[in-house]
Amino acid sequence: MVMACRVINKRRHVGLQQLSSFSGTGRTFLGPVKSSKFIVDEEHHESILISSVVRLLESLDLTSAVGQLLNEAVQTQNNTYKTGTSTLLFLVGAWSSAAEECLHLGVPISLIVSVMSEGLNSCIEEVVSLQVPIHNIFDHIDSTKTFSGLETCGVSLCPFLQIPSDTGLQKVHDLKDVASPSLTVYNLSGIPVRSPKLFRLQAEDEANKNTLQNPQTLKKSLLADSRCRKSILIHSRHFNRTDSNRWINKPEGFLEQHGAATPRTYRCNDLVELEMGLSHGDHNSMKLVDAAVRLQFQNASTQQGNCTIPFMFDISRIFTCCLPGVPETFSCVCPGYITVVSISNTTLIKELQNQPVQIILIEGDLTENYRHLGFNKAANINTLLESMKVQQDSSEEQWTDYVLQVLIKFNVTLVLVQGNVSEDLIEKCMHSKRLVIGSVNSSVMQAFAEASGAVQVAYITQVNENCVGSGVCVTFWRSIPSDVIDRINILTIMIKTEGINLVTVVLTSPLPAQMQAREDRFWTCAYRLYYALREQKVFLGGGAVEFLCLSHLQILAEQSLSKRNHVCSGWLHNTSSWLASSLALYRSTVLKCLANGWHKYLSALMYNTANCSSELGASTVIQQHLQSATDSGSPSSYILNEYNKLNSGIFNSGISNKLEQIPSVYDIVAPKTEAWRRALDLVLLVLQTDSEIITGLGHTQINSQETEAAKMDVFSLCLHVFPLYLCPNFLFL
Amino acid sequence: MSRLEAKKPSFCKSEPLTSERVRATLCVLKGILTSSYGPSGRLKQLHNGLGGCVCTTSQSSALLANLSVTHPILKILTTSMQNHVSCFSDCGLFTAILCCNLIENVQRIGLMPTTVIKLNKHLLSICTSYLQSEFCGCRILVDFSSTQTLLCLVRSIVTSKPACMLTRQEIDHISALILRAFLLTIPENTKDCLILGKSIIVPLKGQRVTDSTVLPGILLEISEVQLMKILPIKKSDTFKVALFCASLSGDLSDTGEGTVVVSSGVSLENAVLDQLLNLGRQLVSDHIDLVICQKVVHPSLKQFLSMHRMIAIDRVGAALMEPLSKVTGTQPIGSLGSISPSSYGSVKDLCTEKFGFKHFLHLIPNEATICSLLLCNRNDTAWDELKLTCQTALHVLQLTIKEPSVLLGGGCTETHLAAYIRHKICNEPESILQDDGCTQTELQLLTEAFCSALESVAGSLEHDGGEILTDMKYGHFWSAQPESPSAVDCPDLLSRCGCGLYTSQEELRWSFLKSTRHPFAPQTCLPHEAVGSANNLTLDCFTAKLSGLQVAVETANLILDLSYIIEDKN
Repeated sequence: MVMACRVINKRRHVGLQQLSSFSGTGRTFLGPVKSSKFIVDEEHHESILISSVVRLLESLDLTSAVGQLLNEAVQTQNNTYKTGTSTLLFLVGAWSSAAEECLHLGVPISLIVSVMSEGLNSCIEEVVSLQVPIHNIFDHIDSTKTFSGLETCGVSLCPFLQIPSDTGLQKVHDLKDVASPSLTVYNLSGIPVRSPKLFRLQAEDEANKNTLQNPQTLKKSLLADSRCRKSILIHSRHFNRTDSNRWINKPEGFLEQHGAATPRTYRCNDLVELEMGLSHGDHNSMKLVDAAVRLQFQNASTQQGNCTIPFMFDISRIFTCCLPGVPETFSCVCPGYITVVSISNTTLIKELQNQPVQIILIEGDLTENYRHLGFNKAANINTLLESMKVQQDSSEEQWTDYVLQVLIKFNVTLVLVQGNVSEDLIEKCMHSKRLVIGSVNSSVMQAFAEASGAVQVAYITQVNENCVGSGVCVTFWRSIPSDVIDRINILTIMIKTEGINLVTVVLTSPLPAQMQAREDRFWTCAYRLYYALREQKVFLGGGAVEFLCLSHLQILAEQSLSKRNHVCSGWLHNTSSWLASSLALYRSTVLKCLANGWHKYLSALMYNTANCSSELGASTVIQQHLQSATDSGSPSSYILNEYNKLNSGIFNSGISNKLEQIPSVYDIVAPKTEAWRRALDLVLLVLQTDSEIITGLGHTQINSQETEAAKMDVFSLCLHVFPLYLCPNFLFL
Repeated sequence: MSRLEAKKPSFCKSEPLTSERVRATLCVLKGILTSSYGPSGRLKQLHNGLGGCVCTTSQSSALLANLSVTHPILKILTTSMQNHVSCFSDCGLFTAILCCNLIENVQRIGLMPTTVIKLNKHLLSICTSYLQSEFCGCRILVDFSSTQTLLCLVRSIVTSKPACMLTRQEIDHISALILRAFLLTIPENTKDCLILGKSIIVPLKGQRVTDSTVLPGILLEISEVQLMKILPIKKSDTFKVALFCASLSGDLSDTGEGTVVVSSGVSLENAVLDQLLNLGRQLVSDHIDLVICQKVVHPSLKQFLSMHRMIAIDRVGAALMEPLSKVTGTQPIGSLGSISPSSYGSVKDLCTEKFGFKHFLHLIPNEATICSLLLCNRNDTAWDELKLTCQTALHVLQLTIKEPSVLLGGGCTETHLAAYIRHKICNEPESILQDDGCTQTELQLLTEAFCSALESVAGSLEHDGGEILTDMKYGHFWSAQPESPSAVDCPDLLSRCGCGLYTSQEELRWSFLKSTRHPFAPQTCLPHEAVGSANNLTLDCFTAKLSGLQVAVETANLILDLSYIIEDKN
């Protein structure tokens, strides 16, 4: 695989530079509009289409120590939360440049580490004020209002990104000046994508003036009644506000704005609104997630009757079935298990239809040679043939016959196997009208175990009457027109049983190359909703939290400049070091560098979503917002005000005729803040590393990252030490 | 057909230490060690360059284990350091740096090795007897009635490992957990001798550090499928436990060499399985509730056991066997034959728990000196470092129970000790001169070499170019901004000494550590009220540091004494 690597400046910290250059490869994945990448393998003439950071890193050569650490961090984030990896990758780059900048300015490493680390802590405390609690979302779930209904109005009526500007922003930027007047962004499938953002340019495109909305939309836009947001502000000891217009904590815990005409409380208790906010422009995927959640909810309510236990969205009971080569519009959600079987099963399925069948579940492979994990087959056993009886059957055939006998004995018609199944057996079973399906997902097995009463076993010999489940139906699944499905020559079947807690999401894509990206996108949306519901809170999204971090850090930086306060001396682990007393000297520099990382993040976000035609333009807009936020005295209330303007729609109508419903954008809390932490941790880990020691004997390959200075007489030690941080007085130089 | 090869002659080298190559490699090794020392020490990425996992660390145990040195002199050094670390866990870098410093300083003054060794031994004995004496000015007796001192000790250890990547709150959280885990291993009622239990570290990578927790008893990880199969645990006073160390997987264990011939129609596998099921029947008749196996249990046996309402947990691993046997009071069963009823044990309660994405079966024993420390960290390399750190801290706490004193950390013990020795040698050199028959000059040269070796260990704590000062009253360690000659006269720039015991408010005089100064008598006998009032002290383990000092001096003596290296090249 080929990797673009920028020229690494040899006078600086090599590790940090590597991080920056790795991170640069993923910047187009930031935000809701992701550009896909082709990865071309020049040796094997293969190429793959990717649109996520995890897939990108899978294709990159990350054998260097720093690359491996980066990959490890991204993988852990992905394994734990399944989201936040592009944020992680971007911030790694932005903050490694920030750390390098600090080094360049002569800030001692230990100070960079403590100030950056505590600065981010302070940000994480600060953004609590932008949390929106989610309460009892399933108590008043509206079955008539589904995601798809709202989505069509949202997308079809306002296919453009432009939003009338707010007053806080001076009319400086006019997109007429910019080379690309069209603001419409199309994703690969040709569906316009819109992404509500906090920051928008004033765009006075002539064409947009025609997009007048009808009063009906206005009504819908005033959904604000049902949308209440409650925010909790934790008073930060780092951030003492002295202005009058601030948010205070009322005794009952509701946030109220002083000086505002009417106090508002905020919360999100509408599922569609939440999903809309979490879709980040990917309505197609979120529509499917919405349908899946509703199916699970209905299933849970019917199972429980009067539900006593609050409904929890169980993501492990969502299964995806990918059908490449089918147009995207056929994606859908169905209860039960939908899978693809060989077309030769058609007659068998026909016979099995319309009658409940008995089922068994096999945990391992269903082959003669399969033994459970940890079983060691003795190699030195010979079987002696005592008589000269001619063996009629091979042991394989004997085994197959035995399996069939068991199936007949317990009247089992359906066998789900987690591992592989012997081809012979499938054949024989088909003749005796039994269906065996291999490579079944473990959560599907679990769902069938629960619903049908079957017990999973490892060997066919273990099967007894207690292990057999019943009441399972097998039918053709014909939601996709036969002319479409016949073209790709597969057979889709649905296996169901009464009350099974399993939902299959059928994902289709006309291009097989896009199939994986489609599945990844679905899971991203599903996990976003899952974490939002599990944490029972979300952040205001669209860059609001990042913007608050940025302005908070700027205020902190200025405070430490003006006051030189010693409040922050606790920011250092080691208070007796001279670094503690000189902390005030460097604190604002480091905080500014950290804030620059957020600035870069926001500009890249705006640029990627085509809110701005250049990152420079985006940067200017952010700068202006930042100024207004600082002037307002309380950045968090500034952001909330901006949000109100966007959400209510009332403000917009006063300015122009353009009226549209702008749903809130939400972000998940813990996965996001953990991605920040992980990114900074990785940067600080690499920053504090001064050398790379390659151990072991007998290898000649020396990393290409070493400089001339690394040629040291250490080979008698049989180790290679490469200084990562080329400090002039470093011992190895 | 055999081939004879002439033996190569052995390789003999005299005065190995004078070789430029040896000096250079020693210098590189010292560079690696000193740059890693202390809370702001720089980290090292260790990997094999072939895509193996990357270890980012600044701990001596990880560094020394991965450095494959070939030169005999370096081998002596690293082996004795590793030996020290395996016995005491802590103060490995201190020992190694001190040893390197001693070798370097002694080489510079060019005295006869025999004189050096004799005098070094003398100085070492002065150090050890001072540190152990009642009037020692850098030792604090541990007050077990409060957790303050122990908490400071643990926090100092955790703080000194920057590769754990912990924030302040996380350091506090982890330190408190380590101390709690340790306290849980102390038996409630003891008669004659105290037998400490064990803290088992359970990995939970990828979660937040603050999600780490301590639980009494043992956590056994189980898969979700296994969890599903565990029936609701019935309430009971005690649960009877059988613990197997033999594999119950049903394979033919060790058929030996040669070939086993069986007649057709005989299935050895089935025969073994029958034996396993017989075993299962015995467990049923003995009313066992929980079967734990170190290795694999055959699925059929598991099915049989679960049909009889028994919980079977397999693949717990060798590391958990000893604590399991201790907690449950079982004898691990090693054969499939009949089981003596005395090998069974029991637990008080059983429950299933979920942490992160992992499910656990929690065994709550009757009398617990075993606890589980569920340790979380964001990434693998930081988790590995944190695990090592926790093990070190737990070990240090054990050592502190045995010898209930701690030493002042943050470089203060080293500078104080150096000041004490300088003063002692200056004022009463007679005792040593009489014994060893060396001259006054030799004694002064060596004392200076010894003391500056100690002081430069303390100086290695500084990695950002700051100046190191020492005060003329207590002989403690103070750090000051680089290039600020005024620091000596301007106490405002200094806040607290290295260990945090003294502040610059007092009328103190300072001098640079590197500069020559007149010997002064550092104040001995730590006042009790000073120690009691100061919180957040940086402390070191007494036993580990004392042993480190001895190991460093003795290893340096050994290396200085080498006159020939004879290598067998065959």
